[in-house]
Amino acid sequence: MEITKNVQDNTATLFLAGRLDTMTAPELERELQDILPNAKDLVLDFEQLEYISSAGLRVLLSAQKIMSKQGRMRITHVNETIMEIFEVTGFVDILTIE
Amino acid sequence: MTIDLKGRIDSNNAAQIEKDILAQLQGCASDSVILDAANLQYISSAGLRLILRLKKTNPELRIINVSSEVYEILDMTGFTEMMPVEKAYRVVSVEGCEVIGEGANGKVYRIDQDNVVKVYKNADALSDIQHEREVARLALILGVPTAISYDVVRIGDSYGSVFELLNARSFAKILAEEPERMGWCVKEYIKLLKKVHSITVPEGKLPSIKAEALAGIRRMKDSLPEGYGEKLARMAEEIPESSHMIHGDYHTKNIVLAGEEVLLIDMDTLSVGDPIFELSQMYNSYVGFSEYNPDIVLEFQGYGASIAREFWKRSLREYLGTEDDHRVTEVEEKIRCLSYADLIDWRQRHGVHNAEDQATLALWTNRLIELLDRVDSLSFDPGETDQTVEDELDIEAVTENLPRVMEFVDSKLETIDCPAKAQMQIDVAVEEIFVNIANYAYRPDKGNATVRVEVSGAPVCVTITFLDHGVPYDPLAKDDPDVTLSAEEREIGGLGIFMTKQIMDDVTYEYKNGQNILTLKKNL
Repeated sequence: MEITKNVQDNTATLFLAGRLDTMTAPELERELQDILPNAKDLVLDFEQLEYISSAGLRVLLSAQKIMSKQGRMRITHVNETIMEIFEVTGFVDILTIE
Repeated sequence: MTIDLKGRIDSNNAAQIEKDILAQLQGCASDSVILDAANLQYISSAGLRLILRLKKTNPELRIINVSSEVYEILDMTGFTEMMPVEKAYRVVSVEGCEVIGEGANGKVYRIDQDNVVKVYKNADALSDIQHEREVARLALILGVPTAISYDVVRIGDSYGSVFELLNARSFAKILAEEPERMGWCVKEYIKLLKKVHSITVPEGKLPSIKAEALAGIRRMKDSLPEGYGEKLARMAEEIPESSHMIHGDYHTKNIVLAGEEVLLIDMDTLSVGDPIFELSQMYNSYVGFSEYNPDIVLEFQGYGASIAREFWKRSLREYLGTEDDHRVTEVEEKIRCLSYADLIDWRQRHGVHNAEDQATLALWTNRLIELLDRVDSLSFDPGETDQTVEDELDIEAVTENLPRVMEFVDSKLETIDCPAKAQMQIDVAVEEIFVNIANYAYRPDKGNATVRVEVSGAPVCVTITFLDHGVPYDPLAKDDPDVTLSAEEREIGGLGIFMTKQIMDDVTYEYKNGQNILTLKKNL
């Protein structure tokens, strides 16, 4: 997985590309650990993301828990197959998907 | 004699019209009466009774140029089954239109962005059109992706049938313009062919291609030296009858890419039989026919002889599922026996007019004789037509090995062209189960897991089985997480197995012979 980030003040956008799975979820977790303390508005752009497993979902859920308290988190450009994963797990209701 | 019907015919005027018609018929010697309905707008039951009475005295009665409104009335009342009723045809011009395909019986033109028309060579093609429509419908029902004509039109003195084909482009055109896409073309071309050949046709629905091939061999066999013709006829006779579908004109002008879909067109030669008959015709389209004069293939397919040969070579390998030269040559020689027999018969039927015809015929005859010296049977095993894959991987159960497990599973799924969405769902489930085993089965020690992939059946079902010798543990026994809770209330974790259950069609667990056995099933 590749992560490209664009951080300005307390607004951050992370562009994820490839697979967010057991092997790569820790990379995202590390990135978020750096960004989250100062973030008010977090955007995760999934346009280039092909795959997500429960390891990826766990990272998203932890981030969501933090961001709900201090600002907002949005996920953009979710493809159809990943959307279905969000649907069966009820993540459509707890994440803000645009 | 032709009688014009005009305006409305109902109880008000039916009696008068009948009188007029009978007067016209009086003293007319011709026994075939044609009612021209070009200007007929409406006909009531009084009018229909009139036609019935006319039909009694004139059994050959026909109605032509019937508008669709009147046709509907005639169809509903059963008149279309009692007598020939011809619709009024829309007139279409194909002048300046691009030719996108060409088959034995006609040419296919694009008339606008979304529609093509097949113009039949035979001027009296209505029965051909009817036949093609029926076989195309049969093929579609049996699972062949094809187009069915929705309208019959007139083009000058010929008939045409109109098909909706969005942005259609033939494989011949793709190969001519983008030869670098040959690999893709071969794959799709053979995938579709295998689909056609895997279909069993109900008895009596389609003619046997073997009967037609045998008739050709009987016509040409005496032109071969003593003994050769008999050997060829005997071997052809021994090819088993088969109820599997054969297209009968399977070359790159008849395969079109319409949008994202690969479609088969020109269905009028559909038949049943052994695949060797189809393959022998395919050899002729790409190689046999232009073996003496390579320019012929360029003229017909729009790409040169070297592309055609390469396409044939790769297609046969793909069809047989092998790169083994020995096996490919062995099958190709059987195929070519029938190819040359067909070509020789064709040349003889069309006459040998000049030196080139003479030389071509001699070349085909010599090649056939050479082959008959070493080929002793025309039967061959086309390989498995049902897709069955079975393979397993035994690997140390550690998360570092996850990429290797995924690669193994994906490589199996690729061989069956698994749809991307299903592949991702299978990947998610496989990751979940393997990571679970890696994290818990042998803790704190290490051990192996076996991942077995099986693909079977039609419709296709993928079964993936995980076996490990770790502590007995049934991951399915755990309660499902409550997915309706808010982010704050949700616990991190516990989602994996739940997700697996949701996206697979069946998930089972058992502990047997000291092994945890978890099985995932996904129907494609």
